[in-house]
Amino acid sequence: MNNESISVIKVRNILMVTMPSDPDDSTISSLQNKVLGAMEQTDAKGVILDISTVETLDSFFARTVSETAQMVALMGGRTIVAGMRPAVAVTATQIGLTLKNIETSLTVDRALDLAAIERPQH
Amino acid sequence: MKSKTKSPSDGGEKLFAAVKTSDMLRLLVESVRDYAIILLDPKGHVLSWSPTAERLKGWTADEIIGRHFSAFYPPEDNASHKTAMELSVAEKDGRFEDQGWRVRKDGKRFWANVILTALRDETGKLIGFGKVTRDMTAQRAAEEKIRKQAQEIFEMAAVPVVQVWEGVLLVPLIGTLDSQRTQHLMERLLQRVTETTSSVALLDITGVPTIDSQTAQHLIETVAAVRLLGADVVLTGVRPTIAQTLVHLGIDLSNVITRSSLTAGLRMALDIINLKVGPKS
Repeated sequence: MNNESISVIKVRNILMVTMPSDPDDSTISSLQNKVLGAMEQTDAKGVILDISTVETLDSFFARTVSETAQMVALMGGRTIVAGMRPAVAVTATQIGLTLKNIETSLTVDRALDLAAIERPQH
Repeated sequence: MKSKTKSPSDGGEKLFAAVKTSDMLRLLVESVRDYAIILLDPKGHVLSWSPTAERLKGWTADEIIGRHFSAFYPPEDNASHKTAMELSVAEKDGRFEDQGWRVRKDGKRFWANVILTALRDETGKLIGFGKVTRDMTAQRAAEEKIRKQAQEIFEMAAVPVVQVWEGVLLVPLIGTLDSQRTQHLMERLLQRVTETTSSVALLDITGVPTIDSQTAQHLIETVAAVRLLGADVVLTGVRPTIAQTLVHLGIDLSNVITRSSLTAGLRMALDIINLKVGPKS
């Protein structure tokens, strides 16, 4: 298990989660546990998932992100996906990634703004 | 270098005699620089060669005479027995014309225009074929270039993406939207949104005459993709007829912000990026 490749850092009250550029299935599998575990331990109010280096997206990754966002929402947090690349967005649309419980942002910088301004919607 | 001819076994004697007696014709064949003119026997073996043919195809007369003309064709054409088809068409219709890739002796390919003409004696018996080959590689490259430029211009004109404010992009769409164009629209818009880190894109469909369910679906997908990037789309210029069509087709645009005019859309966009336009004083 190559769990080290996902970094989860708590910045103020937000978890910064950075995905590696080419995550394999085991890395993706570990995403959920890491994020949810950190949510529990740190009492963070939300998650910023930085996928700005991710170049390809498969249905497994899309489903994991979508499910994790729903779980984070159940734990009272928000999920902001930041920095999705155009090609990834096209694929995500084609495989039907839903935006339920997911907020999006062009850059991590803006995601931080977004997290600071808006109240959680739950 | 001289044009060589060889007496073939099956019915080529008359042809051989005809060329031999006509020095003028031989001179013509040897002197024409743009067309490689050669003769084939009824089965497709090379009977005569010319300096232009050597220049174009690389083989010398000694190397090629007697060989089948499939040597000039790329392997994929030979796999489908293209030469046999060409000969049978030329025999049946009197001529066969083709444009395609041909192979030189060194293996390099060139784009050729080829005309095969059936040659018959006075009794109507097939005695062989005349083959005229012209190297069209340069013309083809020029045509490709022009076509590519036209395509680029068309693509740019088809989907203009303009930045109207910091953080606001405008895409004025004019004319019918087909799948290819909406696909292109999606790619370009996503690209520009990322490049300019724009928060809002205004998709103006004032100039779009009609929308069918497929186009609407493409637009919905485009909006979804832009949202995934972290930006929003405002669909503007939804005229009454388009609104009616969309409702009648049962297309659900409730997830898309829509406005009737571009003005209202721009106001919405400024609102999204937290700006307000007011009087100067």
